Amino acid sequence: MRRILVVDDSATMRKMVMASLRDVKDVAFSEAGNGLEAIEQLEIAPFDLMILDLNMPDMHGLEVLRFVLNHPQYRETPIVILTTKGDDESRTEAIAAGAACYLTKPFHPKSLSGEIVNLLSEPCWSNVH
Amino acid sequence: MSSPTESNNFFNEFLDDYFAECEEHLAVVRRELLALESCMNQPQIEGSILNELFRSFHSIKGLSAMVGVREAEKLAHQMESYLRSLRDGQISLKPEGFDALMSGTQILERAIGAYRTKEDPPDIDEIISQLEACNPPVVAKTPTAAITPFEVKLKPEEKKRLEALVSEGKQIWHFVFTPSTELSKQGIGVNAIREQLQAIGELIYVSPRLNANQKILFDFILATQEAENHDLGSELKYLTGEPYQIPSPVSEANSGSSNLKVEPPREPEAPATAEAPGEVEAIGTVVNRTESERKESEERTETAPAPAEVLETSEAETSNNISPAKSTSPLISGSNLVRVDLPKLDELMRMVGELVITRARLEENLKNLPPSFPAARRRTLQEINLTLERQLRDLRQGVMQVRLVPIAEIFARMQFVVRDLMRLTGKQVALEISGAETEIDKFVVERMMDPLLHLVRNAVSHGIELTEERLKAGKSAMGAIALRASTAGEMVIIEIEDDGQGVDIYRVLKRAKQQGLLSDSVSETNDPDNYDSQTILDLLCSSGFSTKEEADLASGRGVGMAIVKNTVQELGGCVKFTTKKGKGSHFIIDLPLTLAITDALIVEVSGQTFAIPESSIQEVLSVEHKGIIRLEDQEIISYRGHVFPLRYLARLFNCVVTTDESEKLTIVVIGNSVNSTGLVVNRILGLREIVVRPLTDPFLQSPGIAGATELGDGRVVLILDVSTLISSKIPKIIKPQQFINSG
Repeated sequence: MRRILVVDDSATMRKMVMASLRDVKDVAFSEAGNGLEAIEQLEIAPFDLMILDLNMPDMHGLEVLRFVLNHPQYRETPIVILTTKGDDESRTEAIAAGAACYLTKPFHPKSLSGEIVNLLSEPCWSNVH
Repeated sequence: MSSPTESNNFFNEFLDDYFAECEEHLAVVRRELLALESCMNQPQIEGSILNELFRSFHSIKGLSAMVGVREAEKLAHQMESYLRSLRDGQISLKPEGFDALMSGTQILERAIGAYRTKEDPPDIDEIISQLEACNPPVVAKTPTAAITPFEVKLKPEEKKRLEALVSEGKQIWHFVFTPSTELSKQGIGVNAIREQLQAIGELIYVSPRLNANQKILFDFILATQEAENHDLGSELKYLTGEPYQIPSPVSEANSGSSNLKVEPPREPEAPATAEAPGEVEAIGTVVNRTESERKESEERTETAPAPAEVLETSEAETSNNISPAKSTSPLISGSNLVRVDLPKLDELMRMVGELVITRARLEENLKNLPPSFPAARRRTLQEINLTLERQLRDLRQGVMQVRLVPIAEIFARMQFVVRDLMRLTGKQVALEISGAETEIDKFVVERMMDPLLHLVRNAVSHGIELTEERLKAGKSAMGAIALRASTAGEMVIIEIEDDGQGVDIYRVLKRAKQQGLLSDSVSETNDPDNYDSQTILDLLCSSGFSTKEEADLASGRGVGMAIVKNTVQELGGCVKFTTKKGKGSHFIIDLPLTLAITDALIVEVSGQTFAIPESSIQEVLSVEHKGIIRLEDQEIISYRGHVFPLRYLARLFNCVVTTDESEKLTIVVIGNSVNSTGLVVNRILGLREIVVRPLTDPFLQSPGIAGATELGDGRVVLILDVSTLISSKIPKIIKPQQFINSG
């Protein structure tokens, strides 16, 4: 069973993300509604993949991203940025900071689940530094 | 993005969530826009306002894109970009920009609403170009560097804020929270901690950090009032906290120096410093040390008794305002909000109602136990019955609490209404809102939307005068409308007061006669003093009555006040009204907190039983027959310096009047202090908790009857509509058929 942490301040958006992934086999979800909560999950509910929004009330998604990838236990964890489209500069920045991929909302459920399945099936995911 | 329609269908199951979340964001937007308006003329806008607005629009944009509400997406995007420019200081807030935000919000709301009702979306081109005009393209500046999460490193604005707070004499704290699975199981997480901290002070800085053991910690920098210091220990037992000193420029220059003394801006009274001064000093300098030293002291923070804990124990002994439950119960995460469909709550209330009736049946049966029943067992049963009653009351209170929402929801909308009308009429009006946090039943709030809208519109278009007229009358140019809410026992009181021209009673009377609402027999008595304000209100509220010759856009065609009165009456409340020519008008609406269950006096009249809601009863009198004064065709009594008319319930409902001249009369005094009426009944049967069942069948509805209820013995009893019964003195001046029609 793999655990996916869905980080978005909109509860509806989290629901949509999880619904899009409900056909992915052997995954469980945990949720976080802000950056600090997401980071807390590192400690209390370890996960294998993170789907991360950029615009959140307390921390910017990029700060969360950097923090997670700095944590020794999570250096290899794939992080999928899922953000409302329009900010092209944050795409390059996110990839540079180590995001596994950068998707935009609105997203198609199938394309999201496709990306996630790919990332989860890679046996040893390597960081694009 | 292969086919948007397919994915939109996929997300259709989230439409309810979408609408609910948009509604929440729009409520935030409305609230923050009002806050923004007040900073319009100030050089600097509080960053948090712009941030909140920005984020709400951003969320609406993202969600709308997901479910395919294109207009909402586009518009929210445009407003978001404008706010971003404002937030980043690229442009400053101008009145046009603010207006664009206000009307943009309304159009956005309409766009989302139109999607819900499957109507055509509103046109957004105009507002988009307005917003674009306010937000000229600027060379994008590089995003602010992300803070490295390994040090307490304040951004310049945070540092500035901190310094400002210190100079105000605020106490600054540095808290460290270490999350763990155990704590999380108790519901103690970073969200809960943050909320607790925000509740006691201003949170200036939060950031995660890894310590030497690769454990995650959260740093919080908080400013509190000095007086609150001694509470910190008990509130925050899962935190370690110590006073924090802003790194001074000197210490920043050579950050290795650890000889900085920790001196809180003012010596706190908290025992922490007195009992463990060394500890505080050591920890307090944390922020100014080099990384390695910092980690060292971190360890100490975790092992040594933290000052905060010392605080707690010493406080617990001296102060008894911290209940044991509070200090032992884990912090409850405030974000555990649950959305519930209103019908589910209605159903819950209905079930409580059933329980109330069942208990009444139990009580009835207990009363009818045979005399041979052992007294000791009877007492036990009665005790159980009483306990059950109390518990049921608690249950009812609990369910009712769940249904309550702050009236701010509709109050905030009134600001928009006033602004729109100001533009339309060219009048200057300031709407002052107070008591917006007052809670009221969700159903009532929704029903009160239209009446309040109407009263506020009336206040602007009829009440407040044009600026030049105001100046001529020696008033300030800016008209004032106050919208207030408060709770009084089981009632919620909503007031709308304006300082405008007041209601022209002459004109009301004249129009009333023209429209046949006033009988000609009173045509001579045109002296306004002969009419109490309640009579005037009744006239104003008559359907079709309007003093305007022609309907204007702002205030309707004379049906508005009738809606106000009818809605309030349907909700079991009453409207009071005072007006003074040239000084303004004042409407007071009393509404019951909840509708479903209420206490009522059960009375008997000619063998029939009726229920009178307790909230409308002033008192119950027992009067000798000789105390009654006959005046023309009225019977009145004088009591406590007041004179009020008597109405025989038996006559009102065409029952046989059975009064014995030798007996005293039982009179239930109903109404308010201005307008009392005595209802003559035969007997008072008692005070009961009743479950109100409205009569919705139009063939059954009858003036004077608010609904029906079931008593413990299974009898169905009619509930009297007190406000209609009082106003039935109107036949004196209104033709009887008019009363029947409008009743």
